[in-house]
Amino acid sequence: MMNVVVIGGGWAGCAAAIQAKKCGADVLLIERTDMLLGLGNVGGIMRNNGRYTAAEELIALGADDLFNIIDRCTRHKSIEFPGHKHADLYDVTIIEAHVRRYILDMGIRVLFETRVVDVDVEDKKIKAVFLDSGTRIDGDVFIETTGSTGPMGNCIRYGKGCSMCILRCPAYGPRISISQRAGVEDILGMRDDGVFGAMSGSCKLDKDSLSKEIRDELNTKGVYITDVPQEDINPEKLKMKVCQQYALKEFAEKIILLDTGHAKLMTSYYPLEKLRKLKGFENVRFIDPYAGGKANSIRYLSMAPRNDTMKVIGLDNLYVGGEKSGLFVGHTEAIVTGTLAGYNAVRSLMGLNGIELPVSLCTGDIIKYENETKRKKDGLKKRYTFAGSEYFERMKKLNLYTTDKEIINKKVEALMIKDIFKQKLI
Amino acid sequence: MYKFVECIDAGSEYCPCHLAEKGECIICSQLQNKVFCDCLYWKGTCIYEELLKNGNKAKKTRQYKKCDIIAIEKIRDDLLIYDIRVSNSLLRELDNIGAYVFLKSPNFPDYFGTPISIMDINYEQQSIKLLIKIHGIKTKDIKDCNEKIMVKGPYWNGIQGQRFLRNLKDKSVLILGRGVAAAPGVLVTRRLTLNNNKIIALLDKGRSDKNICTDYYTKYGAEVNNLSIINYKDKTLTDDFKKYIKDILEKENIDVVLAAGDDEFNSLIINYIHVRRTDICFASVNNSIMCCGEGICGSCIVKLSGKEIRSCKQQYNPLEYYYVEDGK
Repeated sequence: MMNVVVIGGGWAGCAAAIQAKKCGADVLLIERTDMLLGLGNVGGIMRNNGRYTAAEELIALGADDLFNIIDRCTRHKSIEFPGHKHADLYDVTIIEAHVRRYILDMGIRVLFETRVVDVDVEDKKIKAVFLDSGTRIDGDVFIETTGSTGPMGNCIRYGKGCSMCILRCPAYGPRISISQRAGVEDILGMRDDGVFGAMSGSCKLDKDSLSKEIRDELNTKGVYITDVPQEDINPEKLKMKVCQQYALKEFAEKIILLDTGHAKLMTSYYPLEKLRKLKGFENVRFIDPYAGGKANSIRYLSMAPRNDTMKVIGLDNLYVGGEKSGLFVGHTEAIVTGTLAGYNAVRSLMGLNGIELPVSLCTGDIIKYENETKRKKDGLKKRYTFAGSEYFERMKKLNLYTTDKEIINKKVEALMIKDIFKQKLI
Repeated sequence: MYKFVECIDAGSEYCPCHLAEKGECIICSQLQNKVFCDCLYWKGTCIYEELLKNGNKAKKTRQYKKCDIIAIEKIRDDLLIYDIRVSNSLLRELDNIGAYVFLKSPNFPDYFGTPISIMDINYEQQSIKLLIKIHGIKTKDIKDCNEKIMVKGPYWNGIQGQRFLRNLKDKSVLILGRGVAAAPGVLVTRRLTLNNNKIIALLDKGRSDKNICTDYYTKYGAEVNNLSIINYKDKTLTDDFKKYIKDILEKENIDVVLAAGDDEFNSLIINYIHVRRTDICFASVNNSIMCCGEGICGSCIVKLSGKEIRSCKQQYNPLEYYYVEDGK
């Protein structure tokens, strides 16, 4: 029996599990909470800027599963907001159930409300992981997609304390870094000021607590923008932010709401009293984090060193995806890295070398570029996303950015890797 | 083998303790002079946060309180059962697996305190029952108490391997006890039968002429058998015991075995059963010498795989502790 164990059921873990299953492996996915998708349950933004290209590349490569589900759950197609074009917004209130059904229907076994706390390592190989109950779970190859956010102690040390986000550490117990447990030291991201970690960049308001006028605009257009009162503008807050693609001046001077089922507020946190001074916000309340008036979760505290096949350096059979694999921001980035981790995990089971995605595709380039840049001076202060900031500029410069599906398809066909992720390996 | 990392006080009103304050927390990596979370044992509260919220100070530790002795039942000159009235809140806290208190007479300093396991709880009388063997300075000091006694508690680490007993439902537990050490098993029986677990107790009377605990086990619904388990002359298990174990492992689906004897006893029976049935989990009574109960004095430290375990408050896996290579 070829046995792949995926630890962490966020977007990256789901992508890895689906890919490993498609390749023919027997897959077990272990999730700490009662829901898949992790922070994807409060995300929602797809296909903005270079993410469009990345999504279409993955579809052309044969990893269309999650994108098909996301498209079915989309509330708004091709909207614009400052700095961002052709964004799709999926409905965070229904997406998890759709993805969950898909994964279970594929025959992937999922353990919910199960926390992995330790590993059994022998000769640079992980033999098994241990659950907090003490139960041992053996595996041939492991994929860690536990993310880099929280838990509580880190949010205290590097932030403003637990703000009760969707990760719900107090209820399900804290994330454990599996690679670190296996003896490979974690890499920590930094902020501009040299402090470790970065704060999640958006929060969610209860849409029903906003005025009818704002609700209507959100429901029809997907976006609502209003000015931040002059005395409340705080550009300092942008520096703390994870999402450099949203750390634009406009995001300090404007209140930008996106309709993802909830009203996504494009700032890390916002004192409730100040928020309620705005017209139409008189009754507003936070829905994620519950203490969004105070703070948000801290991220990038737990990345594993990896090569460009997503294998952890220093261990023979541990692969990583999502934030665990680098300073990546966003669902699309998690799906890209998770898919490759799942694919190469199964290849390693077969005794085959892992593949790297070609750098003529943005999906391949970002994986390589992040790995190289992270090691340079100030590289740990950067974030890597198709959606903006430095990497999107690079995409445009290298002519990697396009919204033309035909071009992307032809490129992938010319590389002879069309539908490569649809191949059964076992 | 899977390593336990578990502090019995974590998440209680006595957490964070002085260990956390000094950067020696058993659980929290942030409070072990590390700067990241590596929380191997989660009990629902963040110890790091609790310490910060408490002004970087440990919570107040347990204090001695003067209590009334309701009755003393003399089994033998050196074997007494004390009934002590305690506050309702302490009583509730002591109605747990592994509960113990420190006792001493009112006349002597704190270092006279000695840990004694709770055998039984009586809510009507608002009292705890403790079986005490008199054999040293501290217990002789207790023997001199007739009306008042100093009680410090609650402590909970009197049983090791509690995770195998916690939340157990509709299962079968075999308790193998000997002499005074069988007393903590009574409280275990009380707690486990509440959850419809079947308790089978096999008791060796030790050096006494009868099994003192039998009636207490029976009261809580345990099926009790009295048998000589161990030959102390040559440190072997008796043939009667071996036959009994063979029968019971065939007949019953035993999930957990509680070893309630001294270290030699525990080691012999745990290894004997483990080689026959590797799927059985083990709990044991905690035989460590303790002076403070707060993880400070170090008298309770045991070494496991090169790591020091403060066994007054830290849990270990009894199988790991008592395991011997050849299984005997």
